[in-house]
Amino acid sequence: MNSASTEPAAARLAASASWDAEADDALVCLAVRQETHDVKTFVLSPPEPRRFAYAPGQFLTFAFEVGAETIHRCYTISSAPTRPHALSITVKRVPGGPVSNWLHDNLKAGDTVRALGPMGDFSCFTHPAQKYLLLSGGSGVTPMMAMARTFHDLGEPRDVAFVHSARSPADIVFRAELETMARLDPSFRFHAVCEADAPDEAWSGPKGRLSLDILTQAVPDFREREVFVCGPKPYMDAVRAMLREAGFDMARHHEESFDFGALPEAEQQAAAEAGRALDAEAEEAPAATVRTFRVEFAKTRRVLDCPENETVLDAARKAGIRLPSSCAKGLCGTCKSKVTKGTVAMTHAGGIRQREIDAGMALLCCSKPTSDLVVER
Amino acid sequence: MLDVTPTPLQRLLRERRPGYTLPAPFYLSPEIFEADMEVIFGRHWIYVGVEPDVPEAGDVMVVDIGKTSVAIVRDDDNEVRAFHNVCRHRGARLVHDEKSTVGNLVCRYHSWTYDLTGELIHAEHMGPDFKKGCHGLKPVHLRSLEGLLFICLAEEAPSDFDEMAARLGPYIAPHNVRDTKVAFQKDIIEPGNWKLTMENNRECYHCGANHPELTVPLFAYGFGFAPEEMGEHDRAEAERYGCLLKTRHGEWEAEGLPSREIDELDTMVTAFRTERLPLDGEGESHTLDTKAACKKLLGDFTKPKLGGLSVWTQPNSWHHFLGDHIVTFSVLPLDAERSLLRTKWLVHKDAVEGVDYDLANLIGVWEATNDQDSELVGICQQGVASPAYEPGPYSPNTEMLVEKFCNWYVGRMAAHLGR
Repeated sequence: MNSASTEPAAARLAASASWDAEADDALVCLAVRQETHDVKTFVLSPPEPRRFAYAPGQFLTFAFEVGAETIHRCYTISSAPTRPHALSITVKRVPGGPVSNWLHDNLKAGDTVRALGPMGDFSCFTHPAQKYLLLSGGSGVTPMMAMARTFHDLGEPRDVAFVHSARSPADIVFRAELETMARLDPSFRFHAVCEADAPDEAWSGPKGRLSLDILTQAVPDFREREVFVCGPKPYMDAVRAMLREAGFDMARHHEESFDFGALPEAEQQAAAEAGRALDAEAEEAPAATVRTFRVEFAKTRRVLDCPENETVLDAARKAGIRLPSSCAKGLCGTCKSKVTKGTVAMTHAGGIRQREIDAGMALLCCSKPTSDLVVER
Repeated sequence: MLDVTPTPLQRLLRERRPGYTLPAPFYLSPEIFEADMEVIFGRHWIYVGVEPDVPEAGDVMVVDIGKTSVAIVRDDDNEVRAFHNVCRHRGARLVHDEKSTVGNLVCRYHSWTYDLTGELIHAEHMGPDFKKGCHGLKPVHLRSLEGLLFICLAEEAPSDFDEMAARLGPYIAPHNVRDTKVAFQKDIIEPGNWKLTMENNRECYHCGANHPELTVPLFAYGFGFAPEEMGEHDRAEAERYGCLLKTRHGEWEAEGLPSREIDELDTMVTAFRTERLPLDGEGESHTLDTKAACKKLLGDFTKPKLGGLSVWTQPNSWHHFLGDHIVTFSVLPLDAERSLLRTKWLVHKDAVEGVDYDLANLIGVWEATNDQDSELVGICQQGVASPAYEPGPYSPNTEMLVEKFCNWYVGRMAAHLGR
């Protein structure tokens, strides 16, 4: 009678508990899908049926066992939270990139990977709007895809224009699905911009790199939209300059940015690798090692950059900002502050109660950012 | 020793006339107030609150008794502890709010940090010779009687707490105080000496004339009467009550609810009295319709009609344990002529306001009664200040418990000061 007890897919659909990476960080690869000639999607799910809860645009941090080494990488979730029973990441093979090559060549159905998250606040949910412009280059498509899929699944009357830049028509990730979504939903429009023809397809759409001309042609009302941008650094730099030049209100411009500038020594190697990957392939996905987050102190109106491996208190000290503190080891609670926006990873020593944490409080002396933060100080 | 001149207080104690109210200085003198704080509130078990005041690890409640501030905390092993609320560094008060939640106890002055067992775990800049182990918070004796919290400020606390706990515990246990929450707390400052507040509580002589709400559920006859003066109607009522008391005590005892009177109000150092009393009307609770105020009953009770278990402790508390809620009172002296009366209404911890109980209905009877009593204490305080005041006689039929309160007080003061 109870098919759910024997049918794994039914059991997964019946799952009511949410996946909690703190409790179990293992994810099983259920399927691998070839999206384009060099892009694969990996469908992941916990060993025990669980539901995923996240905001479209968020990422997971993975620890991959590559050879004898554990390598950490962040990958944006490409699936939509409206289909919570499995989760996908979409990865482009990068010449010389050990992780993307390893994923493409080794990760198969049945394998287990370890992951933490979801994290990040690069999401349309963080900036609600009626009209969106999603701009992506290469595998920067993944967070945009998560956002587009979410609105589509929800059937929300949300005006979304999606402009994707690719090298050739053969490199447009999710092309068929995006075109289908555009056909089914008049409020969703999809435009691709290609630099070159593919061997078996001459590109009839806009050619070259994204320009103001191309953007104005495709989305004349782009200035009225909340803009999300993700792609290789040169792409994002160019988009930023272009929007600024067009008189766009940059308060409504959001990008998934990675600061490779001030990396601590321990992360140099990984950063170099990520850098090499970016150099080798201009369209490599934003899969960085050490991120730097923006920390804003709301009362004193100070802003600083805090690497993800540094405590907010230390970063503030270095920036010349004085915060009340004493023990600096999570014991006395003198630095207890309300984090009104964003998330932190905190390892305290009894100076704060779970109930306070639940109420949004954090000890800044032992809190490292996992997203941009606004702190009530 | 023959030529020692007794102090006025010793003389007053020696000359106190049994069966009569106390002489005026006991209600007016700042010196006697100081002596009361030192002897009565400084060396006896004082009722201060309930375990549900600090329901979870890290919860702190501050109780001030005179100049002494005490922090009551629940530690990470779920044990309730009490400490003097004074930093061992420069003496700053550690906790400032009546109720708060902390990770550790931290002095905001120089961030000296104590864990919830009182141990000093962080103190910067004190040098290598500084011994943290010698600077823990000073503990205060604390005992939980089935969830009722008593503290004692003396070095050595009266040892007969255990006897009280052994005899009173079984009466209170079925109401499961630990499984409740404080639905409401009200502090009122009564304009009178703490002894007047206590004396007012220890009789129901004044109830008929002053407590139209309380006397709906409560039989005034439960607290004594003079049968020879009663008319036919009152006599019939008193007989009805007498029968009810006998029948109910039999039923309740058979059901495993200790109900019969124990009275040790002036016979023990840690003195107390208890009795489960039938209620009028529906007989369920201290409400205006005498029905239960809360749908979720306490403990394992399956019916609300359990009368009201009354508990009195010397020097400063009384309590009513009902099937559906608990009302608990503590008196904390402020100065010779003002006292804090702190009332807490407890309901089952899972009860939801507006769903399982209506707050106004829950607190109505006792809120009205407290206000009426506060006024009575006030007019009494004004009266005893008059030169015309002289100690008056207590009713042998309805004020026996007042007399016992005064006996206990005079006895305890005399034991410490000598007669």
